[in-house]
Amino acid sequence: MPVEHLIILGAILFCVGLIVVVTRKNAIAVLIGIELMLNAANINFVVFSQFDPERLQGQVFSLFIITVAAAEAAVALAIILKVYHYFKTADLDKINELRG
Amino acid sequence: MIELQDLIAPTAFNPMIYWVLALLGVPMISFISNFFTKGKAPVWAALLLLINTLISVYLAFNYWYGEPISIKGTWFSVGDTTFGYSLYLDRLALIMTVLVNGISFLVHVFSVEYMRTDPRKARYFSYLGLFTFSMLGIILFHNLLVMFMFWELVGLSSFLLIGFWFEKKSASLAANKAFIINRIGDVGLLSGLMILFAQFGTFDLEALKALMVFSEIEDGNWVTHFTNNGQQVMNSLDGRWLSAAGIALFCGAVGKSAQFPLQVWLPDAMEGPTPVSALIHAATMVAAGVFLLARVFVLLDAQALEVVAAVGAATAFMAAFAALSQFDIKKVLAYSTISQLGYMVMAMGVGAYSAGLFHLITHAFFKGGLFLTAGIIIHQLHQLESDKIKFNSQDLRVMGGLSKYMPITFLCFLICALALAGLPGFSGFLSKDAILLNATAWAGQKGGGYYIIPVLGYITVLFTAIYIFRLVFLVFTREFRLPKIVGESGIASKLKEGNWLLIAPAIILAILSVSIVFGANVKAENTWFMQFFSVPIYLVPEAYAAFSLVDLTEETIKGLHSWVAIVSIGLAAIGLIVSYFLYRPISKKALVFQDAPEPRGPLGRLSLNHWYQDDLYEKVIAKFIVLQSKSIAWFDEKVIDGIVDGFAKIHVVFAHIVRWFDKYIIDGFVHLTVFASGRVGQATRSIQSGNVQTYILSALVMLVLLLLWLVF
Repeated sequence: MPVEHLIILGAILFCVGLIVVVTRKNAIAVLIGIELMLNAANINFVVFSQFDPERLQGQVFSLFIITVAAAEAAVALAIILKVYHYFKTADLDKINELRG
Repeated sequence: MIELQDLIAPTAFNPMIYWVLALLGVPMISFISNFFTKGKAPVWAALLLLINTLISVYLAFNYWYGEPISIKGTWFSVGDTTFGYSLYLDRLALIMTVLVNGISFLVHVFSVEYMRTDPRKARYFSYLGLFTFSMLGIILFHNLLVMFMFWELVGLSSFLLIGFWFEKKSASLAANKAFIINRIGDVGLLSGLMILFAQFGTFDLEALKALMVFSEIEDGNWVTHFTNNGQQVMNSLDGRWLSAAGIALFCGAVGKSAQFPLQVWLPDAMEGPTPVSALIHAATMVAAGVFLLARVFVLLDAQALEVVAAVGAATAFMAAFAALSQFDIKKVLAYSTISQLGYMVMAMGVGAYSAGLFHLITHAFFKGGLFLTAGIIIHQLHQLESDKIKFNSQDLRVMGGLSKYMPITFLCFLICALALAGLPGFSGFLSKDAILLNATAWAGQKGGGYYIIPVLGYITVLFTAIYIFRLVFLVFTREFRLPKIVGESGIASKLKEGNWLLIAPAIILAILSVSIVFGANVKAENTWFMQFFSVPIYLVPEAYAAFSLVDLTEETIKGLHSWVAIVSIGLAAIGLIVSYFLYRPISKKALVFQDAPEPRGPLGRLSLNHWYQDDLYEKVIAKFIVLQSKSIAWFDEKVIDGIVDGFAKIHVVFAHIVRWFDKYIIDGFVHLTVFASGRVGQATRSIQSGNVQTYILSALVMLVLLLLWLVF
């Protein structure tokens, strides 16, 4: 498989994730979008890992990312849960405490 | 060179000041305490005045022969000018204190009965105290400024007493009239004070007299040299100011002593209670003017004295003429007072200082007596008034035949009337004779037109006898007319003699009106009074000094004396006879007097209306003043107010412009700033929507733009 295709896949995935993050109202969906974007980055790392057959730094880094993403998801979900408890909703449009 | 400060230097402490303070203080205590005494006021006030009379008699007996006592002190100083006060007890002051206190005491006693039923009698006695106090102040102080203050106090207390029954419109109007007309005279007096002060720099009379001696006439200018605190002072005024000063001082006396042309207040002042009239006419108010003339006598120059004499003679004649046809018993006596005051002033004017003062004293007694007896008559007649029977208890027409009912009153009235008419054996004869003698001698020296002054005096003698005996006949002889007028015959039996409180003062004054009191003499010069009071020498510069009667030889006087006496007695006798034929009990006039109409002839009307002087003042002067006031009011309203209004309008227009500028320009800037910052705030806050996704989006856009910028 040529590298270009894989990079494009990564880019598409990143874009989909980004769109999800920006457009979806549900906080959980936004979180999912973030996971998508992380995974797009992972794809890029894995793709470029073939140019480093000795150390496979890209693959190792993607494993780190997956771990960190898992941790991040746990923390984020906990926050969302607290936010939901506090605001009785997970709709991001209604949670606008930061409004100036 | 005379030093002013030496003349007005305070004197060492003199225990006499306690006596003087007592004299002034006792009536003052009466004034103050009677606001609290209520029902006991009459007795208390009379007691205080008795004490004061005794003090003044004691002082008079002790210090009569001594040198005049002078006490000076500093009142206050302004810069270099020191204003002092000075008390001066000479024979004139001593005899005047006795007179004022004595008459005031008798009036107090009389008032105890007269005002018995008046609800405000405490106030009345309080005012009497004030009146006595102020008059004593004029007498005791020897500083023109302080005298002027007491002078004004006399004006005030007369105002209070004349308007004592202020519920009556006429009484309050009369009080106003007396007060206002006195103010006119006081303006003159004040100008006189100012002229003297401008020339001599002091108000102290002794200092003034001393300085007057040193002033002289140089080229028609009145020049005074003296030193003040060692510095040479030279004051120079046009010589006419010397005469002006004298005339201006006399103006004060014109107001207070009711001289022409300011005498109109006195007949109206009859609205006050009758004892007050007695006090005003005998001892206090009107005497003040003559007393002032006596005090400044030596400062008057020939011209001023001529004015004084002319005014006095004119007043004497005019008032005596007006007294001929009055129907009100008190009015007759009021005009009589004016006329007698005219005599005193005329005496001063011709230089007969002692004769004028002598008449002041004798007049005080007999006029006081006349007023008190008139008061008794009015009081007793007033008792007859009831709800059904109303009449004017002062009207001659309701009287008549009263000698049957009040024999003692009649006797007192008769004695006083004889004294007033100037018949021998009574005090009035002595003093009037002295005045006429001096006036005749004076006119003899001056000659020509000056004879008009003694001639007016002689005519007045005739008129005086006529009007006072008219009163005697109409009041006391024939029959009591009141019962016929009110149609109730029983009323006559109710008329009684006044009680002793009313009669005793009248008796005392009647006794004092007999000439033996002043010495068993038919010649005025031989009375003790004239022996003690000699005519002082004029102190004004010789060029301006009047001819002094002192310079007359004894032969001239002696030659004149007998025929002056004969003429004046003759005229008084003629007056008595004329009056007898007109008003004797069986005369036609007396028979129908109850419906006597007001005189219709031109002369009669002139007399009744007192030469139409009141009308003249009302129709001409008062009208003129009202007109002037109106035009000034118009000027004020239209012009001054117009200008003020114009300014106000300009201000309003200007204010509108400023307001517009403020609102649209200044406020505009402020609003713009507010609006701009508001907008900016609005704009910036719309970014901070609180929506995290928007933030991410914008960050993303920025990132893309950054990348694009970095790449290209």
